[in-house]
Amino acid sequence: MTNAPDAKPVLQVRHLTTSFRTDDGIVTAVDDVSFDVFAGETLGVVGESGCGKTVTSKSIMRLLPEHLTIYGEQSEVIFEGKNIIRANEREMRKIRGDKIAMIFQEPMTSLNPVFTVGWQLDEALKYHTNLSRKQRREKAIEMLRLVEIPNPERRIHEYPHQLSGGMRQRVMIAMALCCEPDILIADEPTTALDVTIQAQILDLMNGLKEKLHTAIMLITHDLGVVAQVCDRVMVMYAGRAIEFGSVREIFHEPQHPYTNALLESIPKRGSRRSRSRRLPTIPGIVPSLRNLPKGCRFNDRCPACQQRCIDEEPELINHSLDRPVRCHFPLNQKTQTESAH
Amino acid sequence: MWSYIVRKLVYNVPVYLGIILLTMAALRVRDPVAGYLGKNATQEQIDRLTQDMGLDRPFYEQYGKFLWQIVRLDFSEESWAQRGRTVKQILIDAIPPSMSITVPSVVASAFIALVVSLISAYFRGRLIDRTLVFFAVLGMSISYLVYIIFGQFFGAFLPLHQQWEFTPFAIQGYEAWTSWSHLSVLGLNIPYPNGIKFENWIEYCMLPVIIGVIVAMGYDTRFYRAVMVEESNKDYIVTAMAKGASKPKIMFVHMLKNAMIPIITRIMATLPFLITGSILLEMYFNIPGMGRELITALIANDFPVIQAFVSVLALLFILSIILTDVLYALVDPRVRLS
Amino acid sequence: MIVKLIKSRGMRRFSRNRLAMFSLAVIIVYFLTAIAVMLGAVSRDDTKERVGPNRLPGFLEPIGAEKRYDFDKWWVSELTNVFERAARENARAGGDPRAVLDEFALAERTIADGSYEDLKPAFDAMTEAWHELDDVFAEQLDLDDEAFAIRDEIKELQAEGEDVADLQAELEEVEALLAELAPRAEALYQQVEANIEKLLPMPSGFAGLVYSLRTMLGTDSKGASIAAQAVYSIKIAFQVGFVTALVAVLIGTISGAAAAYFGGWVDHAVLWVVSTLSSIPYLVLLAVFVYAFQAPALAEWFNNPERPALALVPLYAAFGLTFWIGTCRVVRGEVLKIKELEYVQAATALGFGRFYILLRHIIPNTAHLMFINFSLLFIGAIKSEVILTFLGLGVKGQPSWGIMISHGADGVTNFFFWEVGAATVFMFVLVLAFNIVSDALQDAFDPKHV
Ligand SMILES: Nc1ncnc2c1ncn2[C@@H]1O[C@H](COP(=O)(O)OP(=O)(O)OP(=O)(O)O)[C@@H](O)[C@H]1O
Ligand SMILES: [Mg+2]
Repeated sequence: MTNAPDAKPVLQVRHLTTSFRTDDGIVTAVDDVSFDVFAGETLGVVGESGCGKTVTSKSIMRLLPEHLTIYGEQSEVIFEGKNIIRANEREMRKIRGDKIAMIFQEPMTSLNPVFTVGWQLDEALKYHTNLSRKQRREKAIEMLRLVEIPNPERRIHEYPHQLSGGMRQRVMIAMALCCEPDILIADEPTTALDVTIQAQILDLMNGLKEKLHTAIMLITHDLGVVAQVCDRVMVMYAGRAIEFGSVREIFHEPQHPYTNALLESIPKRGSRRSRSRRLPTIPGIVPSLRNLPKGCRFNDRCPACQQRCIDEEPELINHSLDRPVRCHFPLNQKTQTESAH
Repeated sequence: MWSYIVRKLVYNVPVYLGIILLTMAALRVRDPVAGYLGKNATQEQIDRLTQDMGLDRPFYEQYGKFLWQIVRLDFSEESWAQRGRTVKQILIDAIPPSMSITVPSVVASAFIALVVSLISAYFRGRLIDRTLVFFAVLGMSISYLVYIIFGQFFGAFLPLHQQWEFTPFAIQGYEAWTSWSHLSVLGLNIPYPNGIKFENWIEYCMLPVIIGVIVAMGYDTRFYRAVMVEESNKDYIVTAMAKGASKPKIMFVHMLKNAMIPIITRIMATLPFLITGSILLEMYFNIPGMGRELITALIANDFPVIQAFVSVLALLFILSIILTDVLYALVDPRVRLS
Repeated sequence: MIVKLIKSRGMRRFSRNRLAMFSLAVIIVYFLTAIAVMLGAVSRDDTKERVGPNRLPGFLEPIGAEKRYDFDKWWVSELTNVFERAARENARAGGDPRAVLDEFALAERTIADGSYEDLKPAFDAMTEAWHELDDVFAEQLDLDDEAFAIRDEIKELQAEGEDVADLQAELEEVEALLAELAPRAEALYQQVEANIEKLLPMPSGFAGLVYSLRTMLGTDSKGASIAAQAVYSIKIAFQVGFVTALVAVLIGTISGAAAAYFGGWVDHAVLWVVSTLSSIPYLVLLAVFVYAFQAPALAEWFNNPERPALALVPLYAAFGLTFWIGTCRVVRGEVLKIKELEYVQAATALGFGRFYILLRHIIPNTAHLMFINFSLLFIGAIKSEVILTFLGLGVKGQPSWGIMISHGADGVTNFFFWEVGAATVFMFVLVLAFNIVSDALQDAFDPKHV
């Protein structure tokens, strides 16, 4: 696993800032987040609930309610050389589902209850391919087979409520992948599923990634999942990206105290099975977006908090080689020479 | 499917028995005969009417007898206030006028409200949506009666009074716009239209229909819009967007089919009013429909008519609820199998 | 419970909605007015007392020539009546004509001070001017008719393409005569009205203010003040709305919460009653209830003029018995959800009594529903009152918006809109305010659905 498998980003996100108009004024849910997604890799995005993971991914797809959402002036989401954050609706429609696909957390409600599975798979193909009705049907069956749904010929005539949760998520994946997108954004695809099914779905996604060469942006609470399938990780906290690194780096040499705390809150190896599926808990609470602390956003919960952390917010800086972290006093620092060995 | 229908039917039997019980009890809180005949009636008159109606029998006996009447749809008592007409005759004669007003107005208002609420939901949160919602609330805040009064004034009275060229509507009254033939089914004469005089309908029914539509507009639009908004918050909408579906596709295909479930329920819920007719419209425009007959009977203490009308209305209401459930099952695949 | 509600997020969101706050203020103004009426600011007699001619238009409506004639005629005939009686009294030895004059009063507006002899000249002047005006008016009407006929004829001939020059000249002649008459009529009107004013001066000071308020919205077909009726009706509306909404919300909440919380046969029983009652069209159900309450024994008890407060009880009962169904359904649904919440489960596990949990934890959490339903039912009651009253099953014997609208309906076809209009506007503002408030409440507690 390297930092950048092909060293060719398919998606570049720069200074993404997403705010919402609410009754209480404007709330910024994602603040100046920049990252790349490289072809063929799996980027993990982790962070506590409410830190802006979903908003980040929906901003990329532009799925947020248009009239309530404001994107920052400098925000850029560059895909195929174009800044799609300023693209018009029609251009976005061509990209959605075709080039960038997305699957969601809740398989129970994410499928339309009044249309058959086949119809819903067919719909994506209809928008993005020129296949005939019969070809689309075949393709749909093929996709269902690919995601290991037994009896696909029969299943395409069924309604979502006739499928189990795991099957529905498989259908969602089939739907997302049927046009062979460049990027698949998976927003907590397994959170709502049983542990065993969870593992199956992750294996499936991993396998499909290899087969279809799709880059995956995997959003999750679950560091176990990250360890299992991701190449690189972005850690988010209160709307900010606070640390980047390869999976190994993040797990063995976390630099941000928050990442460290996250890791420490997981029960040690060996007890993995008994591990609670809830997100790791860290003492203290996430600051409200309406009421952020002045300095570092993590300062009130940070065990190593100093005066400087209260006064000024750290920039996202490479303290050591290609490991950007947003902290004044990062942990586990290595000098450049050390890491060269 | 059939077992589903049968289950629904069986479930509603106790409800209907309850309705009849309640209606009969409520109508007997006061002595109907004394109420009808007034203070100057002789004892002999009172006794005779009481016996004719069987009101001197114990309540459970009356209850049983009346239920039996309903089962056979046999209401052959004479009306008290309208001498010489049986309750059944009154019922049958009142249906066509009611229907010629309520059917068009339910259909038209459902259709228009659906279109308006789709527009509103499409532009949700924008000026056009807020304007529509505002007007819907304004419209709902005015009394039905005021709509009728001014509807008649501007629609019929003013044009006639000022001798405008365009005076299509009568101020009030009713004339049949079809001749009705009767089909005899199970001993009941079912009327069906036969030979149509459309100008009569325009003259006597169209204005009440327009008023009825305008009144319903506020309520329906708001309800439909709320349904659409509810649906547009659902996850499957985002999934459809993520697939690359266009906004019209999402609204008219994904959302509308889901929204149809509560909307059908609502339209079906108005079905019994097809029969009651719009009581107010009928009273004000002097249209001899079901609603008018019922209210006239209530005012005139016409006991047999009241009792039969309420029971039949409730029966139709319950049948339409069952029909709603069946339609529901047809639209919503989730209900179908369970 | 109230404190908890006020402190909730939804309430805070609600309090930031300006329009809703304004509407709430409107409701409060209405409420205070209702209290003032209850305390006697407008009595029931005030709503019946004659304050002017029948169907006197209100402040916005210009009085056309025809109506001006009619109203002046009314004043003149009323005054003539009084003065003729005073003259008879005057002729009688030892009679007191002033006493006769004092008998006449339209609320605050009474005959001017001074003895009969002092006022006689003004009366004579008025009568004389009136007779002349009568002639002029008749002449005007004739000429008008003539002009109308000529115009018709011209139209007809023009349609046939014939020459109409002669007729045109004739028409001009008639119009010239009419134009000549107009200033003369105007002068006479002013003369008559000046004398009426002299005999029946507008009261000054506070009485004047009260009188102009009373006549501000015109009078009904019996000459009684519409403004007074409209204001008095606020009280009736609040009585009907408040009592019914309260009764219905209480029955609905308790039965709904109990059905959902206890389940089992309680749920079945409540559902059975609910589906039974809702299987009868609500207007029919209302009508049947009202009918039942007209039983002689009940009617005698409730319609006793000595206990006017009881007259509305049948209406409250019919509304209350009909309206709780919706609340019951909504609350039942909500409680089914609340029941599953963790803290309720925890409280159950801790062994708190079921009634304690119901009263302490569950019902307080439906408080916002109670508020929303209260305002919806309030509106429902006010609107249904109008309809039932029109059907002859509602309020009787005291003014209400329903009575005003039903009575005023005839007036509309005589181009007299004030009776219906006043009731409509008064009612519209209140109902709109309630609608806005209940909408805002709903949105505040369920922000996703805006
Ligand atoms: N439409 C919106 N209007 C206002 N605020 C919003 C909106 N959508 C999201 N937010 C806010 O943005 C913040 C980030 O939300 P987001 O859904 O991205 O969190 P998340 O990291 O995905 O959390 P989870 O793990 O629970 O899914 C939250 O505080 C949320 O309240
Ligand atoms: Mg999320």
